[in-house]
Amino acid sequence: MADAARSVSPSLAAQVTAFAARLRRQHGFLIGPGEVRDALRALEWVDVLSRREVRGALRAVLTASPEQGRTFDLEFNAFFRAAGQPQPTLPPLLPETPAPTEPDPDGKEQQPPDREPGPDPDQRQEPAPPTPQAGADPGGDLPDGDALGDGLDSPDGDEQDAPVMQARVSPNAAPGEALRVDAGDLPGLLRAATGLIRALELGRARRLRPLPRGPKLDARRTLHAAARTAGDAVHLRWLGRPRRAPRFLLVLDGSRSMGRDATLLLRFAQALHLRSRRVEVYAFSTALTRLTPLIRGAAPGQPLTLPDLGDAWGGGTRIGENLLRLARDERGRVNRDTVILILSDGLDTGDPALVGRALRDLRRRAAGVVWLSPLAATPGYRPVQRAVAAALPHLDALLPAGGPEDLHALGRRLRAARLSRGAAPPVS
Amino acid sequence: MIPAVQELQDAFQTRGYVAGDALATSLRLVVGLGKPLLLEGPAGVGKTEAAKTLADVLDTRLIRLQCYEGLDAQSALYEWNYARQLLHLRAAELRGDGVADDDLYGETFLMPRPLLQAIREPKPAVLLIDEIDRADDAFEAFLLELLAEWQITVPELGTLSAVSRPHVILTSNRSRELSDALRRRCLYHWTEYPSRAQELLIVQSRLPGINETLARQVTDAVHALRALPLGKTPGVAETLDWASALLSLHADHLDAGALQATLGAVLKLREDQLLAAPTLQGVAAKAQARG
Repeated sequence: MADAARSVSPSLAAQVTAFAARLRRQHGFLIGPGEVRDALRALEWVDVLSRREVRGALRAVLTASPEQGRTFDLEFNAFFRAAGQPQPTLPPLLPETPAPTEPDPDGKEQQPPDREPGPDPDQRQEPAPPTPQAGADPGGDLPDGDALGDGLDSPDGDEQDAPVMQARVSPNAAPGEALRVDAGDLPGLLRAATGLIRALELGRARRLRPLPRGPKLDARRTLHAAARTAGDAVHLRWLGRPRRAPRFLLVLDGSRSMGRDATLLLRFAQALHLRSRRVEVYAFSTALTRLTPLIRGAAPGQPLTLPDLGDAWGGGTRIGENLLRLARDERGRVNRDTVILILSDGLDTGDPALVGRALRDLRRRAAGVVWLSPLAATPGYRPVQRAVAAALPHLDALLPAGGPEDLHALGRRLRAARLSRGAAPPVS
Repeated sequence: MIPAVQELQDAFQTRGYVAGDALATSLRLVVGLGKPLLLEGPAGVGKTEAAKTLADVLDTRLIRLQCYEGLDAQSALYEWNYARQLLHLRAAELRGDGVADDDLYGETFLMPRPLLQAIREPKPAVLLIDEIDRADDAFEAFLLELLAEWQITVPELGTLSAVSRPHVILTSNRSRELSDALRRRCLYHWTEYPSRAQELLIVQSRLPGINETLARQVTDAVHALRALPLGKTPGVAETLDWASALLSLHADHLDAGALQATLGAVLKLREDQLLAAPTLQGVAAKAQARG
């Protein structure tokens, strides 16, 4: 390969431009003229006769997340496929999670194919990475020099096996349909969100920061200021420990039994996001899906419209598996400033031991874990559901979430609970 | 001279880093296009190592900025040596000399930090901005200007343009969502755990003294562990640590005793060790049966 960049042929340039436009139109990729220009420039630095290099170059320029990477690969194959090759099924642009297992007729749990534990690693399937990986480029089996559109892709099916997300019957969404949530009382929810944020006292940060007043003299800034007064430290500068701002991680049980309450929490999540940028939202039914990008992109005051959430909405309930998946795959999003709010009625068909294990792990790393239950709003409620009982030792509070009034009281109730570790979780 | 993708892969491999096609292509574009590369992926998959190896391959300097919460632009860019400035002022006073601003705010008292160092390098350096997701939003916003304009403004000195444009690699573990603005300025690559064959190759490249049986058993065992719902999934670094620990014990295969003695090199949480016990027993039993 010569060092100097070579220009791209007009026909290839036209193909790439059309491909970029397709990604933008059909999947909402943030691709503008600058990205198209960069994509064409990128092709000048790779071997355009190598399908793998072209795909790698375009993917590096046109994608910005692993979810986009997966969609890109499928679209790339569809767009540059040879005649006669079947059109692959494209998943929606959402974080994909393999569906948890269903119990087999013997009552034993089948492990998901990508996470099958067992004593014999040789006989186990290779863990299926969620995205094409560095060395395991999906087109990796193709010999170098394959031109664009010159035939089938790798036979290992990495890109052919597009997982299809299926919607379940739900009070909110029909199979394969978008979920629409009314705007509701946004000002009221914003007040509730503000109350929640103000109620949380997470203490002070460990790191010293420049503050107007503080316990420690900031020698660097004081000396800097002294340079203007001929070396006399007239203006003292201080360091202090700022208050720790909370992060929120909302986990919504979107199963059939939770329909109305889950949509209320979705609106609350949106309101919370408008008050604090540090909000992550996940939904689960039988599988877990990250909703943060959708919540972030929603217009305030307008009905919230989400695409078909498949196994994350309107199906059965797998609390333990999904909390465990959250604790394992998204552990980077949980730190000592994170308050985890779980909304679920606790009616679960999975193993309650998994709930306990996941919550123990999450609570160890978070500022607090709070379970919101619509059932807890009913008089005489006792936390006897298997999942709730397993979770109880690891919770800072188990609070009712029967309607907007409970959300308004959330901050006050959390203040009463104080998110104190080691204390028995209060049940309101 | 910018190496072609295959040449880059070969050069990486001779240094013990197995780079896939997509990563190698992205790294080539970093050099060719002059755009930063955002490397995301789980901890321990070799994101930082990719930058180090690139610097080695290009025979240039690696400048590393480790991000943390509270990192400010001043700590990343430059600082003035205030104590020395004050001494200079006092000395001038004693001599009865006047001190001009240019004397006080000159190169003598300027302490360049990683970002300033990177743009002042005569030969393009590899600038590793490690764990950008740990830095605050404000620092991320500050980086946008640098990555777009390749220049830095020091109020007392004016605008300093890059002598050479560094090859920038940012890494992130996704503990915080990065802004679209930053993502749009970067090339993007998601790094996953290597496949079994790749990891075997990595072990054999990094530890040339290891026998194939042991290397294969360690690799297989690590892949079995990654399939479990562990709290801290072992990365490539843990695989290498484990293999090194076994080598230091002169083990030539993975039996129950060696496994027990070295388990802490690969599983760092007690809960994970308990959870993985049945899997590891199976691995040891199989290794013993073969032995």
